[in-house]
Amino acid sequence: MTPETAVVQALNGISFGALLFILAAGLSLIFGMMDVVNLAHGAFYMLGAYITLTVVQRTGQFWLALVLAPLLIGALGLLMEPLLLRRLRGRHLDQVLLTIGVSLVIADLIGLTWGREIRSIPFPAGLDHAITILGGDYPVYRLFVIAFGGALAVLLAVVHRRTRVGALIRAGVQDAPMLAALGVDIDRLFAVTFAVGAALAGLAGVIAAPVFGIYPGMDVDYLIYSLVVVVVGGLGTLSGAVAGSALIGPADTFGKVLVPQFALALIFAIMALVLLLRPTGLLGRIRIAR
Amino acid sequence: MDEKKGADRRSYRLTRRQFLAASSAAAAIAACGPAATPNPSGAATVAPTASPGPTLKIGQLLPFTKVYAELGNSMKRATELYLKQKGGSLANRPVNVVYADEANDPVVGAQMTQKFIDSDRVDLMMGIVATPIAYAVRNAIDAAKLIFIETNAGGNALTRTTTNCTPSCKSKYIFRTSFSSYQISYPIGEYFATQKGVKEVFTFVADYGFGNESAADFTSGFTKGGGKITGSLKAPLGSADFLPYVTQLKAQNTKDIYSFFSGTDAINYIKAWTQLGMAAAGYKMNGAGFLTEQDVLKEVKEQAIGATTSLFWAVTLDNAENKAFVDAYQKEYSLLPDVFAVQAWDGMQTVDLALQAVKGDTTNKDAFIAALENVKFKSPRGDFEFDKETHNPIQDMYIREVKVQSGQAVNTIVGKVARVTDPGK
Repeated sequence: MTPETAVVQALNGISFGALLFILAAGLSLIFGMMDVVNLAHGAFYMLGAYITLTVVQRTGQFWLALVLAPLLIGALGLLMEPLLLRRLRGRHLDQVLLTIGVSLVIADLIGLTWGREIRSIPFPAGLDHAITILGGDYPVYRLFVIAFGGALAVLLAVVHRRTRVGALIRAGVQDAPMLAALGVDIDRLFAVTFAVGAALAGLAGVIAAPVFGIYPGMDVDYLIYSLVVVVVGGLGTLSGAVAGSALIGPADTFGKVLVPQFALALIFAIMALVLLLRPTGLLGRIRIAR
Repeated sequence: MDEKKGADRRSYRLTRRQFLAASSAAAAIAACGPAATPNPSGAATVAPTASPGPTLKIGQLLPFTKVYAELGNSMKRATELYLKQKGGSLANRPVNVVYADEANDPVVGAQMTQKFIDSDRVDLMMGIVATPIAYAVRNAIDAAKLIFIETNAGGNALTRTTTNCTPSCKSKYIFRTSFSSYQISYPIGEYFATQKGVKEVFTFVADYGFGNESAADFTSGFTKGGGKITGSLKAPLGSADFLPYVTQLKAQNTKDIYSFFSGTDAINYIKAWTQLGMAAAGYKMNGAGFLTEQDVLKEVKEQAIGATTSLFWAVTLDNAENKAFVDAYQKEYSLLPDVFAVQAWDGMQTVDLALQAVKGDTTNKDAFIAALENVKFKSPRGDFEFDKETHNPIQDMYIREVKVQSGQAVNTIVGKVARVTDPGK
């Protein structure tokens, strides 16, 4: 591999990692706070992509979708937590089963509403061209994904560390019952957390739509990626999601290029290795068992 | 601390176990869910003639969920259109079509096939999109002496004699109205070397049975014609990100690329190709026809211009049967048919003609098989007949290039390889 190609491949890997971060951040947040592995996360992601499809077809405004889709999906999360998940609080297996049920329903409703064909949308105006990097064309949209993922990570980190909401989240991740005992409305906090997590999945769906296509089954494909990222990085922490996606994105890209016959197995091998050596993930914190 | 660590590990493990339990439950739900959808136009339909024969029960195993769902829908539409045109009966037997969902899973496919055999007791079976499923049910069909018309899966072994029948082999009960992967890959290889004057090709295909078969058949056709393969690259089926692969293609110097991808993979591949400015850098996209079939082309549009592919049909194919078929399909469903619809249509046509030859009598299996072997007709794809040896069709292969015609990107015919027969015995 020439140095030029290696640099371009590194960019490819980082941009894939940035997308994985946007996707995995929400999953990690929900797990950290509520102890629920939300297997409907992929379905929220898929819904984000399909909402983008409709908004772009109707108005041609990708940026409108970038605002609208997370809001709508966040609202769905805000309804789903009190109506469904709360009833099963503390029953983890039942909650996980419930999220699978929800994901099947969402995927089927999407099929009924939008059809089961493969769809695709163009790159948003202004980001649809290529720029020259090391003598070769490189798509601007990929650089935008990197910038967007980076900015989101910074924003989330600031919220996490410097705001009252962030303090509540950190406290909730440590010990939710104690937080409730201190007088914090834990129901509301859980509902908001779930909504934000869902909205992040929807946001990832919007960002991914122009690159990776919109198709039945995309929910499962990316749910698996996001699970790998959070398991490798560490469940329930923001820094874990960053570390996981920073490792898995480039590993997936270079794996495809350098050891193509193991491309798919590589990220799972990394996951297995991490689980063996550090069961809590690279940056996962040891949590108090409840 | 150690105790806490242990507890933590335990709670974590539990989560993983929960995940496994939950996902298998999901798979089970998916498997039972949409199976065996009753056909609204089937059972109740009465043949127009005076004394109709006994009902002909056809089991159609098609994907209605997951990634190939739209292929299944397309094939179902063609099946129903054919029956509608024939007033709901073939050779004076009212037809009842039982649909089942193959769910892109060989295990589900095998269960549904068994259901067709044991509880539905169908007179014949049709469908199956994915080659692994066709391979998985081959033995059950052969043992049950059930007539099966394969209307998509193109794995070579399904109509060939193979050592120990691995991974599959031909059966006297199995006919195929689609293609073998040899047919869509070998002729274009030979055509490139001998007619188009291409000297070197780099191959880039989906890394699964069918993609590898396609690359191997293309390679043998191309090298036999005097061409040279300079290298190869493979991508797993359902690769999310194609940019790394196209970056690699661009980092090597052979300009002609032969690819096998379909569906989402094809769309993502073509978009990555455009993003990296491959056409401007002089690279040419070529491949098996599914790379630029209707489902892909309507999404990528002009981005696929110049792509050269081979297939036995194109929506623009100029013959009376194709015009009639495309018009009827468009009138009924307000959309253009795709190649999968043609395969299902020809499957129904095959059954219809063979039934007429035996006067609707399917009880004498050998007579019915002989009638199927002798079926010959004008298909939307051109002349259609079976190779009696293998039950795979003998058909023309068209070399097609994506061009803009009246503002729409379509596959236009630029060459033809006549009467391609699979070399299987």
